[in-house]
Amino acid sequence: MTENINNKKDIEGLIMEAEDVTVRFPLIDSPDVYAVKNFNISIKPGEFVGLMGEPGCGKSTAAMSLLGLVRPPGVFESGSVKYMGKDLLQMDDEEVRSIRGKDIGMITQNPRYSLHPMLRVGDQISNVYRAHNKVRSKEAWSHAVEMLKLVGINDPERRVKAYAHELSSGMAQRVLIAMALSSSPKLLLADEPTSGLDVTIQAQFLDQMWDACRQTNSAVLLVTQDLGIVANYCDRVLIMYEGQIVEDSDVFTFFKSPKHEYSKRILQLQREAQEAGEVVMTSVDQQSDPLMKVNSLIKEFPIRGSKSRVHAVDNATFELRSGECLGLVGESGSGKTTIGRCVLRLEQPTSGEIIFRDERLDTLSLKEFQEKRSNLQIVFQDPLDSLNPRWTVEQVLKEPLDLHTKMTEQEKMSRISELLNLVGLETSMRQALPREMSAGRQQRTSIARAIASNPDFIVLDEPTSALTPETTAEIIRLLMDLSSSLGISYLFISHDLTTIKYICHRVVVLYLGQIVEVGTKEQVFNNPQHPYSRALLAAHLFPDTSDRRVDRDVRESLEGEIPSPVTENLPQGCYLYGRCSHQLEECKDMKQHLTKMDDGRFVGCWRVSEGAL
Amino acid sequence: MVRRFVVKRLLIALLQLVGISIVVFFMIRLLPADPVARLVGFNASEEAVQQATESLGLHYSSGQQLLNYVGIFSVVDEPGIINGYLGKSWVTSEPILHEVTRFLPITLEMITYALILAFIIALPLGMSSATRPGGAADKFTFVWGLFAGSQPEFWWGILFVFIFFFALQQAGLPHAPAPLGRLDPLLEAPNSITGFILIDSLLRGRLDIFFNAAHHLMLPVLTLVFVVSGPIVKMIRQNMIRVIRSDYILYARSAGLPPRKIAFYALRAAMAPAMTLTAIIYGFLLGGAVPVELIYSIGGIGEYSIRSIISFDYPAIQGTVLVIAMVSLIIYLALDIVHAMLDPRITF
Repeated sequence: MTENINNKKDIEGLIMEAEDVTVRFPLIDSPDVYAVKNFNISIKPGEFVGLMGEPGCGKSTAAMSLLGLVRPPGVFESGSVKYMGKDLLQMDDEEVRSIRGKDIGMITQNPRYSLHPMLRVGDQISNVYRAHNKVRSKEAWSHAVEMLKLVGINDPERRVKAYAHELSSGMAQRVLIAMALSSSPKLLLADEPTSGLDVTIQAQFLDQMWDACRQTNSAVLLVTQDLGIVANYCDRVLIMYEGQIVEDSDVFTFFKSPKHEYSKRILQLQREAQEAGEVVMTSVDQQSDPLMKVNSLIKEFPIRGSKSRVHAVDNATFELRSGECLGLVGESGSGKTTIGRCVLRLEQPTSGEIIFRDERLDTLSLKEFQEKRSNLQIVFQDPLDSLNPRWTVEQVLKEPLDLHTKMTEQEKMSRISELLNLVGLETSMRQALPREMSAGRQQRTSIARAIASNPDFIVLDEPTSALTPETTAEIIRLLMDLSSSLGISYLFISHDLTTIKYICHRVVVLYLGQIVEVGTKEQVFNNPQHPYSRALLAAHLFPDTSDRRVDRDVRESLEGEIPSPVTENLPQGCYLYGRCSHQLEECKDMKQHLTKMDDGRFVGCWRVSEGAL
Repeated sequence: MVRRFVVKRLLIALLQLVGISIVVFFMIRLLPADPVARLVGFNASEEAVQQATESLGLHYSSGQQLLNYVGIFSVVDEPGIINGYLGKSWVTSEPILHEVTRFLPITLEMITYALILAFIIALPLGMSSATRPGGAADKFTFVWGLFAGSQPEFWWGILFVFIFFFALQQAGLPHAPAPLGRLDPLLEAPNSITGFILIDSLLRGRLDIFFNAAHHLMLPVLTLVFVVSGPIVKMIRQNMIRVIRSDYILYARSAGLPPRKIAFYALRAAMAPAMTLTAIIYGFLLGGAVPVELIYSIGGIGEYSIRSIISFDYPAIQGTVLVIAMVSLIIYLALDIVHAMLDPRITF
């Protein structure tokens, strides 16, 4: 199949052929911007093409231009966009309108913004369907319900009446898919369709698109920045750089021998990050007394004006040893951030024990706890948000010293120099304001602030999620260095399995506020046991073409959506019931408990502990 | 849900009204004024002054005066606001409620027409200047907004009178009537049903009065429209530009929706904020249309309140403020409900 697709001379039967497309954005006070310049592309039926490039390289504009559309105030400067041999740019409005949405479907980034905020999604789907099919509004409405059912939305009769703001982004994305597929297009343009989705949902969605593409012989152009998605789904990769296609190769060749500088750079970065993770971490004596113990932690949030509550954390128990890095992994709503906050008393636990160095933290008054804070610190996700915008780096770092130490001014100044040195910031940064620094430097400042008072324990709440891949690799390395030189223990919270894999000794997998599996990094990553851990790892797309998800015989996956963690929504028995591919009837009403396995890990699934899976 | 919201808002409005009346009550009494002297004249005998003071109830302490006014623990044999009685005008001895209900509809009528007209003009103008920024419509609204906003409305009023009444009359052309009230001196307003003269005259089948009143309302309404449309057009234009560039309009186009549907999508999203602004302007004009009322001798609530203030007619001032506040609060409430119906993201 791949050879066939790569035969570029075979112009016959192209579904889309764009030549020499140039899009200009006129600007009032500065020279015009050419977002897309002499752009060429050809797509065949049944082909799954990935379009990659750095932010701002024009890939979204290019995808949009294949519909003969530009975002205002842009204009087409030149070129032709031929769908089935007919140029969209030369057609009259009515003719091109009949192709948009019917023969060429579009799925955009930020699905919730692509839906009209004041119209019911059912009306929006029907409007699109009626624009291309002569049906009554009643039929179009029932077609909308059917389409929602088809894309896997539970309770479509209710959802069809919803407004965009009432949907989760996963559901909004499905509504867009329903709209795009409602007239079964021959070509689907998908612009970063999975950004902002949880990995298991992302996998469901891409699987669905892949299957649709293969079954109906329709083509897909997928715009993305994620090497993992490209490696696992695409037949062919196009690299866009400064408004032009600079590389066009099949996916295997691309990963083996990239041609363009940009391709080489991103693949190199990816490799470096991987190698950084393979640096041997200092080992931890698992027999030693734990530094921190969390027993049966429960945190519920009341909902205003209602009797039901949000179960953020449900009976979490785990331990952390000195010098250890414990990873908390989970998707949205899994309660990982809440656990981190409860441990530091930023939230008051509803019940449960938090023991640090044999002392109960949860029963201390906030005033008593204040003295402990120098020992327990946190680094947040968004470094810019967590630094005072009007404070210089020096002021930021001086604050914990003022609060927690009795140093003289001079000692404080030399301590600040020491801290800057530790986190790898130049002394010239002392007087810089947060917004004058790069995100990586901001996060280093944040880390320096956390270690200023010599803590034993730091909660890292998604410390790398707001950073570019390159900076992420650097920060991870810095955190590992600090841990081994200063003996700090980390609770590392992340949804990103790749970073967790690099830095953590042991991993706690969370689902809907419950711990489903606890084990060493090797146990969890190489041989996950709990069905959720399996699906999570299988859904994680590693940038590696040797084990493509689409080539696997069995694609471990979960059905449906993550239920919202509100009292009445939660399943009776196993929380994964209804989504799990291994479920039995008994799971429906059977509460699950963490059970210790022979290899020392804990798993919260009765079928696993009975050896049935 | 909506009912609970409305009840809650009405209760809050009630509290606001109580607050407003108390504040106004004391603020008036802080004025360095002597209403008694104004009433009986400066050369009146001491007894006359004494008598007048007592008849106005001003010999009681301020606290007791407030109680009398409100109607709780009152020591005078007059009802209070609690009983829906706003007191008697010290100047005309007529119940305030009568006077207010006579003058308020006159102003309401003028500004209602003005704002409806302004909205009708602003909508297409704002839309077309948004769809073609820098085009003729856009340039026109820009210049207009700048021009109309640069001078106070009384100046425009005088200018309009000069052009459309005086100059046209001099030139022997059809012209606007003299700015001397709501009707020609020979005509008499029909008995009030709604208080809106155009509607009343139609209801009573007096087409002659209808056309005459419309003729007289023309210039004051046009003056207000001229001044007020600028910001509304700008608001609609701004919203439309934001909406046109929004992802959902782009998506609607990429899904091949017909132009009619896309225009509907855009309008639906751009309307709500423009309506809010219109209602705020409405609330403002209730008391703020005084200059226009005076120029055209309309005799509305603004003119009445000015007259009351000048003659230190305490009950009249209090009553006017209370009624205007009440009307504005009701308008804001109605607007919030309409806004919530237009925009499902707003919850009560």
